[in-house]
Amino acid sequence: MSHDEQGKPAATATGVSRRGFITSVGSGAIGVAAAGALVKGAPPSPPPDTLKAGDLSAVTITVNGRRHQVLVEARWSLLYVLRDRLGLTGTKIGCERGECGACTVLIDGKARYACMTLAVEADGHEVTTVEGLMQGEELGPVQQAFAEDDAFQCGYCTPGQVMAAEGLLRENPSPTIEDVRHGMAGNICRCGAYAHIFTAVVKAADLKRGGR
Amino acid sequence: MLRTFAYVRPGSVGEALEQLEERGARVHAGGTDLLGCLRDGVFEASKVVSLSRIGELRGITAAPDGELRIGAMATIAALAAHPAVKERFTALSDAASVVASPQLRNQGTLGGNLCQRPRCWYYRGGYDCVRKGGETCYAIGGENQYHAIFGGGACWIVHPSDTAPALMALDARVRLVGPKGARVLPLEKFYLLPDDDATKETVLEPGEIVLGVQVPPPAKGTRSAYRKVRARGSWDFAMAGLAWAIAMDDGRVADARLVLSGVAPAPWRLHAVEKLLIRQRLDAKTVARAAAAAVVGAKPLEQNAYKVPLVRGLVEDALGAASRA
Amino acid sequence: MDDKELYFWRGPLPETQALPPDAAPEPWGETRVVGKPVTRVDAYDRVSGSAIYPSDVILPDMLHAAVLTCPHAHALVKKVDTAGAEKMPGVRAVLKDGMPGTNVPWFQGRGGFSSRLFDPHCRYEGDEVAVVAADTIYQAWDAVRAIDVEYEVLPHAVTVEDAMKPDAPGLRDGGNVPPAAKPYERGNVAEGFKAADVVLEQTYTTPCELHNPMELHGCVAKWDGPRLTVWESTQGVYAVQSGVANALKLPLANVRAIGPYMGGGFGSKLETGKYSVMAALLARKTGRPVRLFYTREQVCRSMGNRPANTISLKVGAKRDGTLVALESRAVGTGGAYAEDGTGGVDYLIRELYTCPNVRCENSSALTNAGPQRAFRAPGHPQGAWALESLMDALAARLGMDPVELRLKNVPAASQTRNGVPYSTTGLADCLREGATAFGWAEARGRRPAPSHIKRGVGVAAGMWQGGAGGPPSTAIVKLFPDGSANLNMGASDIGCGTKTWGAQIVAEELHVGLDRISVEHADTGTTQFATPSGGSKTVPTESPAIRSAALDVKRQLLSMAAEQLKVPAADLDLRGGEIVSKADPAKKLGVGQVQAFGRRGVLVGVGYRGPNPQGKATNPFGAQFAEVEVDTKTGEIRVLRFLSAHDSGRVLNEKMFRNQVNGGVTMGIGFGLTEERVMDRQLGKLLTANLHDYKMPTALDAPADKTVIAIDPHDTFCNTGAKGLGEPATIPTAPAIANAVFHATGLRVTDAPMSPARVLRAMAALKPAPAGRKGEE
Repeated sequence: MSHDEQGKPAATATGVSRRGFITSVGSGAIGVAAAGALVKGAPPSPPPDTLKAGDLSAVTITVNGRRHQVLVEARWSLLYVLRDRLGLTGTKIGCERGECGACTVLIDGKARYACMTLAVEADGHEVTTVEGLMQGEELGPVQQAFAEDDAFQCGYCTPGQVMAAEGLLRENPSPTIEDVRHGMAGNICRCGAYAHIFTAVVKAADLKRGGR
Repeated sequence: MLRTFAYVRPGSVGEALEQLEERGARVHAGGTDLLGCLRDGVFEASKVVSLSRIGELRGITAAPDGELRIGAMATIAALAAHPAVKERFTALSDAASVVASPQLRNQGTLGGNLCQRPRCWYYRGGYDCVRKGGETCYAIGGENQYHAIFGGGACWIVHPSDTAPALMALDARVRLVGPKGARVLPLEKFYLLPDDDATKETVLEPGEIVLGVQVPPPAKGTRSAYRKVRARGSWDFAMAGLAWAIAMDDGRVADARLVLSGVAPAPWRLHAVEKLLIRQRLDAKTVARAAAAAVVGAKPLEQNAYKVPLVRGLVEDALGAASRA
Repeated sequence: MDDKELYFWRGPLPETQALPPDAAPEPWGETRVVGKPVTRVDAYDRVSGSAIYPSDVILPDMLHAAVLTCPHAHALVKKVDTAGAEKMPGVRAVLKDGMPGTNVPWFQGRGGFSSRLFDPHCRYEGDEVAVVAADTIYQAWDAVRAIDVEYEVLPHAVTVEDAMKPDAPGLRDGGNVPPAAKPYERGNVAEGFKAADVVLEQTYTTPCELHNPMELHGCVAKWDGPRLTVWESTQGVYAVQSGVANALKLPLANVRAIGPYMGGGFGSKLETGKYSVMAALLARKTGRPVRLFYTREQVCRSMGNRPANTISLKVGAKRDGTLVALESRAVGTGGAYAEDGTGGVDYLIRELYTCPNVRCENSSALTNAGPQRAFRAPGHPQGAWALESLMDALAARLGMDPVELRLKNVPAASQTRNGVPYSTTGLADCLREGATAFGWAEARGRRPAPSHIKRGVGVAAGMWQGGAGGPPSTAIVKLFPDGSANLNMGASDIGCGTKTWGAQIVAEELHVGLDRISVEHADTGTTQFATPSGGSKTVPTESPAIRSAALDVKRQLLSMAAEQLKVPAADLDLRGGEIVSKADPAKKLGVGQVQAFGRRGVLVGVGYRGPNPQGKATNPFGAQFAEVEVDTKTGEIRVLRFLSAHDSGRVLNEKMFRNQVNGGVTMGIGFGLTEERVMDRQLGKLLTANLHDYKMPTALDAPADKTVIAIDPHDTFCNTGAKGLGEPATIPTAPAIANAVFHATGLRVTDAPMSPARVLRAMAALKPAPAGRKGEE
């Protein structure tokens, strides 16, 4: 049986099926000519999306449920576009090298570093930032739990922590403290508020389930 | 802030290969290593070729014959969470679950993890080192606590991948395709040592990419695991790690594959240990012999001799776990 | 430390007016709001993403700046060619040495030494060479890379040992080694050691630690004619104001520094940065606002560090554990410009335990490395690492319980301050109550089954040389006719909850709900003068002024009401928005019904911080307990649980207190286990210029099981009785862990951080000595 990345049965890809493709290449002693045929003989697909160096090109990114058409350079990070082009400064800049977590956002529901994601790679995807967790003027459950449990000090890493927690809870709605420690291990809090972060995430899970 | 580059997002492997023919073109899988290297100026890219739209590179498939097939663009997080991987290819799910950080696992891909560039701070820093085509390996006379104790020479990097040693312990093969066609190699043959070529870690030819990996069904009675020792609980690469797959039959070792991470410029297979374990019971004496054999030939630098007892400890620990099966 | 000095403040401190004697309030008894675990008043802003930090400030037409720094450890800039950069798309201005306005003196030192903003003599990898402003940050960096610099590379020395060699390359005229300061001495150590039954000696080393607050260092600068506004990530807006005004020769009144939210500092944001001056110059040159933030790599190189220290320590004691002599020699480097690399290192050795004979000698040298800055309890964690490790070894040698040994030597008076008594000391209670709550005796007595994974417990104590606060501070509390209030103060909230406990004090005195109190702070244009938030002095400095301001308002209100109700003011009390007669509770007025107040519109109360009492020493104390697991095959240390008992006087907010202590412990875990700046001696460059190679603790390095106990000895040194907390919390952590490692394994790790590499190295060095809980010192 075929599985996608989540272990659920996957639909067969169009054209050469993934299975078929893997099998044909994977059979071992495949010749150069055959491989060439395989590659060149693949069914026609639309021309590649191309961004010229230095040019501004339009991409469509859905941020917090709203579709944005943004002009971007190929090298621009999603972090830069969120903060400096869309004015969503809740997502913080900490290292720009995927080593601190302050810029954590959800992309298609999964926690990712906006600094390590080219904006063009988010083209056609759904991005959720800390602003997107608000329910109108009310805090969302993770935010509420962070506030109540004093799960921050200077608060600068907090939006990233909140988004990492949101991502974790979407995958694991009832985490243990150990699950939380592993799930939150991609966000540095230099103030060291981890102990409160751990209880806040557990509390947030409860709030999300409708608890109080 | 990155220098300017062009970006292209082909829809098929064929198109990707065409795009990669351009000099200065670089593959973007998850991008986590590529963007870091570009930021640090380790190399430059005139064009970034994104594989994100190529559906045929995705997916993790447990085939009916028991073989595991993983597309190069499968994310590390997906590997770590995949039920069949967890159940039967435990070393791989163990390894995937300790790669970098949760966010990087959500983004990083298996192909990228196998092909990532070394984390040596001289290589990543502003040093014109051997691996970048220079004359000197600064690690030899410098800060080498994280460097290699095996397989060094012109260069003393350690290979940074956690999944590669796990896959090697599981006898995986890697599928490549490039301008000259496709080929399948045992993963072991995929990696190079500085003696082969100190400027690259893999046999990948220019324009060649990893399509995926296939792992044969483990023999009956096989258990596997990966343990990583690092300075910090997250993000860090291994100071040393050990992937092992051991098949027991009636209390004796029927087959064993042990591969170290973090100690050599390539995942480091412990052939001698494997050999001496065959048909043995994992008693204290055998474990001690195996641990001693694991570090034969180690050539520590000034600051990394601790890796010798560390490797011994990892081997003892692994065999202890295997004996409790 | 002299009460009149702050280690990070240059020049004499201004005094604020002392309280009139009749205005000195009684200490609080039972409190309603103060001390309670209320949610921070700005929690919403911080968790919603709506708080605007300086790096979030976006102004119309704003430019983005990037700094070119020297890539060499030591070099002379011969030529800077910016022609190509200036022609690049989006580039609006480039600044380099010699251009108008750039002749700004910067680091200064002994013998008249002075560097300047873009000093052509670059003394470490990271010294600023030029700066570019462009339409986007990407364009600014393109231009920085296009600047062509010709350097004459000079020989370098990045370690203190190399810098002290006679033939070492000099960083400045007069050499790298400043004249030795006079050693600290009391009693006679030679006699002391002679009289000792046991003498132990050991050399300890500590890592150079980088502050790395999560928000980068930088600011946004904007001119309005002759007036400059700077939004800066800083611990003290008034320090920024004076620094920038001084550099640009502007009247103080024309420089407004704003920084109500800031993403952490830990001492690295106490001083004015070159970025503020560069951003202001670029903004003036272009007529546009400029944002300039350093990159993480630049922050690692240039924005301060805790110097690495080598400390040789010798202790002499009687058989019963009485200390008779302590002698230390410490060496360190403050880097390329800071002359002292040992500040604070010997304070605990001199002060923490009763000891009649003490001698401490420190020496430093300049190196081609990033300059140090005050880092959370400067010197103290280093000193604690040595002293508290050696105390543990002494206890082992004497066969004493480590808690008992410390209790035996707890002082009642400050030995470094002419023997004046402490206003209070909770050190003994921290040790005793901490041990009880931790289950110390049981945990020490546990006999685990044999395994290569070993468990142990450890203790360490500490104190902080500051933490008493003092003048100057001015706070203003405004009361509105509807009973709501506003607190106005200059202090920054660097994460310690300054706004929240300030509002709690106002709420306590004026009976106003926290939701009806607004706080404005950290803005030189609109708020009161304050020294930077550092030295764990914000609570003891600001809280008494806030209380006094609230009481000033209350006095005015009650006096107006007394006139209206025709009762003496002393008979009136303010409760729940009403003014009530104590004698006749039927006589009362709503705050809004006080006619004189209504005519006034707003009541303004002013509070000042008076001086601390003469003849007393005030310090915070603490003791911490760790339980660890050590894998002796791999050298991995896991901190399983941690308990901290702290005397910081009155607790203003129980929840924030806990958080602050645990945060200090987390930082101490970094110091003890993971963090270390590594420099390459070959080229003199920083190898850990990012957050992967520089390893700050993550969620997986900090234990979830952390307990905090507050010991409050009811100090009355100021009207709130609250001492500082931020710094003491991080001082004993690392040695508590090291002592637990010893208890678990018999292994004494004397070099921090205790990475698996160091543990395995120490284990290898221990062999072939027989295993077990002996074989040390």
